[in-house]
Amino acid sequence: MKDDYLFIKSLKVDFAPKKAPVRALESVDLSLSRGKRGVLIGPSGCGKSTLINVLAGLNADYSGQVLIDGRPPLRGGETALILQDFGLLPWKTVWDNVVLGLKFRQKSAGEIKAAAESVLEKLGLLSLAQRYPAQLSGGQRQRVAIARALVLEPKLLLMDEPFSSLDALTREEIQDFLLEIWEETRLTIFLITHNIEEAVFLGEKIFIMSHSPGRIRQEIENNVSNASRQRGQTQFWEMCSFLRSFLHRSSHYAADA
Amino acid sequence: MRQTLKKSGGTIAVVISLIVLLIIWWLFSLALKNPAVPPPTDAIKNFLASLQKDLLTHLGISLYRVLTSLFLAAVLGVPLGIWIGKNQKIDDWVAPMIYLTYPVPKVVLLPVFLIILGIGDVSKIVLITLIAFYLILVTTRDAAKNLERGYISSVQSLGAGSWDLYIHVFLPGCLPAILTSLRLGLGTAMAVLFLVETYATQEGIGFFIMDSMSRLNYEDMFAGIIGMGLMGFFLYLILDKVENLLCRWVKL
Repeated sequence: MKDDYLFIKSLKVDFAPKKAPVRALESVDLSLSRGKRGVLIGPSGCGKSTLINVLAGLNADYSGQVLIDGRPPLRGGETALILQDFGLLPWKTVWDNVVLGLKFRQKSAGEIKAAAESVLEKLGLLSLAQRYPAQLSGGQRQRVAIARALVLEPKLLLMDEPFSSLDALTREEIQDFLLEIWEETRLTIFLITHNIEEAVFLGEKIFIMSHSPGRIRQEIENNVSNASRQRGQTQFWEMCSFLRSFLHRSSHYAADA
Repeated sequence: MRQTLKKSGGTIAVVISLIVLLIIWWLFSLALKNPAVPPPTDAIKNFLASLQKDLLTHLGISLYRVLTSLFLAAVLGVPLGIWIGKNQKIDDWVAPMIYLTYPVPKVVLLPVFLIILGIGDVSKIVLITLIAFYLILVTTRDAAKNLERGYISSVQSLGAGSWDLYIHVFLPGCLPAILTSLRLGLGTAMAVLFLVETYATQEGIGFFIMDSMSRLNYEDMFAGIIGMGLMGFFLYLILDKVENLLCRWVKL
């Protein structure tokens, strides 16, 4: 629906449009209402990251309609982006990484200090503020990336395979943590993954994408994500196996085409 | 704990290398029996004596020439290198120009510079600057080009403008490469310095060494060589310290 918070209609994106253009995305339609968690799942190389770049306002070279809260995507606005390798600057301490976005917004020193302290405190990172990213564990780094996004009080959180480099236990911890944050802030989350369990655990709405060129193959209302926070339950695994079989089938289609 | 161990290990290694080098030198002077290669003890004595005379003045002038050149080369080369590395379209135009001129040994332009810019400091500084500039430009451009895209897009998404990107991403991200190129540039600059100071000048350590040679004053000549060597060594040391100070994150 057009009045949804996140609304994409017949989005097309080409790579290297001047030389030999390769179509990365072919008429993607997608919508997500405010305060919902959407997860996009698909094989690697299907244009998931291209889509996120468009949503983050990093790529304006597209055709079709993309609206976030009724406006075209804008970088540095109410949207925060978290990347696979977290995108933390290795030459800045945790503190300096977290305050970066506030500095770009010309906040006063007092405001910056207060906001950063409260976010770091909440995420249990305050004692690590003077460390460099290289001195942190993967899970800690991921939390710094989340802190850097949350300190800007975004309305939309975009995440591009944010947990893929973490070990299984840390990944589940951070997934729980993300849900806690969502319950508290009720921001809209749009997350990309290739991990089926992650999609079922986090996504109220799951979008299945096929590759070359990328398009949305199926949209699934996932009640399991809300019904229980238990990963081990039968419904959870049923949903996972449903999703898995669907993904297998759609990759067959892609191979035949 | 580990750091202090490493540090003391490093100091011992430096002292041992120094002793080994002095022994090799001493053996050479014994074998050659030539006044052009005095034994280390005599040479160091002469060096200290020459410092009381005018060696220090010559070293000072050379230091001024090298430092000015490196400073100018960095001030011109770093921003330009980042700018080219960050803009693919500009790089497409500039890259062939760099590749055509980079391999040309710039030292051969010395006579041209002497004629156009005169025999003063300007021609020497311009030549050394030009050579170091190329090194810094190419290294910085490559570093900016190969900078992880994730840093750029994540900082852009935080709302960074073009200038913010320059200050917070490109400059610190390229700094290790820039300092490496400065160290390489320093070595080349010292070599070129010696060459330019042997022509049409009455000042500088290069002049001092060649002048002592022509006067058959081998003691002074060798004192000059030691002076130039120490100058290069200490400048290198300073760059090393600067790197440790500014790029702490690299060694984590």
